Amino acid sequence: MTIWPEPRLLPCGDGAVSVELGDEVNRELNARVLALEYLLRQRALPGVGETVPSYRALLVYYDPLVIGYEALGTTLRELCAKARPEVLPPARTVELPCCYGGELGFELDAAAEKLGLPPAELVRLHAGADYYTYFVGFTPGLPYMTGMPDRLTIPRLQNPRTKTPPGSVSIGGIQCCIYPIESPGGFWVLGRTPVRLYDPEAPDPILLRAGDHVRFRAIDRAEYDAIAAQVEAGRYAPRITG
Amino acid sequence: MSLLAVQDPGPLTTIQDLGRFGHLRVGIPTSGPMDREAFLLANRLVGNPDGAAVLECTLVGPRVEFADDRLVAVTGADMAPTLNGAPVPAWETVRVKAGDVLRLGPARTGVRAYVAVAGGLETPVVLGSRSTYVRGRLGGLGGRALRRGDRLPLGAAGAPARPRRVRPGQVPVYGGAATVAVVLGPQDDRFTAAGIAAFLAGPYELLPQSDRMGARLKGPFIEHTHGHDIVSDGVPMGGIQVIGEGQPIVLLADRQSAGGYTKIATVCSFDLRRIAQLKPGGRLSFRRVTVAEAHAMLRDSRRALDAAIE
Repeated sequence: MTIWPEPRLLPCGDGAVSVELGDEVNRELNARVLALEYLLRQRALPGVGETVPSYRALLVYYDPLVIGYEALGTTLRELCAKARPEVLPPARTVELPCCYGGELGFELDAAAEKLGLPPAELVRLHAGADYYTYFVGFTPGLPYMTGMPDRLTIPRLQNPRTKTPPGSVSIGGIQCCIYPIESPGGFWVLGRTPVRLYDPEAPDPILLRAGDHVRFRAIDRAEYDAIAAQVEAGRYAPRITG
Repeated sequence: MSLLAVQDPGPLTTIQDLGRFGHLRVGIPTSGPMDREAFLLANRLVGNPDGAAVLECTLVGPRVEFADDRLVAVTGADMAPTLNGAPVPAWETVRVKAGDVLRLGPARTGVRAYVAVAGGLETPVVLGSRSTYVRGRLGGLGGRALRRGDRLPLGAAGAPARPRRVRPGQVPVYGGAATVAVVLGPQDDRFTAAGIAAFLAGPYELLPQSDRMGARLKGPFIEHTHGHDIVSDGVPMGGIQVIGEGQPIVLLADRQSAGGYTKIATVCSFDLRRIAQLKPGGRLSFRRVTVAEAHAMLRDSRRALDAAIE
């Protein structure tokens, strides 16, 4: 796998630096990125601002009038050497109910046909997998996840749709994605979760975190509607373990 | 509590403070003012702390009525402000009385004007900030741009500050071609020498599809070495993505936190205001600087800002 022997520090203008640890989608590599972020936040260096983890790099914002580029680089290289997955707190598992097919999962049948599988088998395989969240972002709360069996690898839609409803559970390439807000999308929508991944009115508006495991539980439309009503009333909490 | 009544909102007037920090790692953008320098000067002119919330007006300004006596300042784009129909100066403190109506018109130069009111706008703080992020329905008033009939709560103004103005030589001149400093990277190694030369030669024209998320540009073709896709990573403020057609997009205050396109360079923070004030069709060129040069320029720009008010 492509993990650089030494981290690459890439300047991003006058106020950020990207610490690149490698160049691929790989859990071990991503865990090192998350570990680096964890250690850096623990260090609470004056002048270090926001951090944005992604698959293989950590973007670090800083105030150059408080901490110099060289000093920051020295600290980052030192922390990279210690950034092992073991330093991270235990991962959580979040269970998300998902209603597959029908009007909520409007591309289930088409995706099943594309994959040469009966729709029920696609649901069984999708809901049976353990998903890993590399990071959260792009739009608020959107998890970048993999974990599907290889059998479900599917090319992205040729013509991305302009609007995807919030909560849509979808697949594209080797990835599984849940849309937190209405967005354009090039993934196949298999179902929908009534749980909100982004709730601007909640004290903590983001549900999933980098490093989380996600499991889907297949539910029928009646249960979807029941949970959606509880979510609306602010009385639903998804099962989170670990 | 005093209220600012919105009689006419203008096409896109939002509430912005310094920004929402700490949530970029879960995809919530910083937001905040597109022209940070004009924003800060507006607040300082009325004696507010730097972080007070103000109005950011886009292309055409709003009409607002005051419920009590206040100090007000308008900075940024020249929207020819009037008070009860009579012209009032921008870039200096203006006294308003209860019942006065401040109106900003269409921008003659620049794009974004800032209206600061002594005491600041006291709309609810959401995740540590009052800044509006319209796409995510967050902050401001109900997470949206202002509407006719909105009534914005104002904070208590401190001891009446003495009227001040920005030194005439420090008032930025908008219009004409803008040149902005960039540091190459993080993915400049994904472009050919000819591609980087074309990018630095410019000029680029700002397209009308530009918004608070990003400035879309059109100009010389920027050649990649092999494709425009990367393993998605964080998108810095001012990051310049080059997509399939070889054209750049500068990512701004409401940008996505991460993306999968190559980034040739990053615009320096102190020059972002030049992009924020560029009208569609306006010309933009990029000038390469090193990180050390960028930091020296940032210090100069901060010093100039701190000395800008008489």
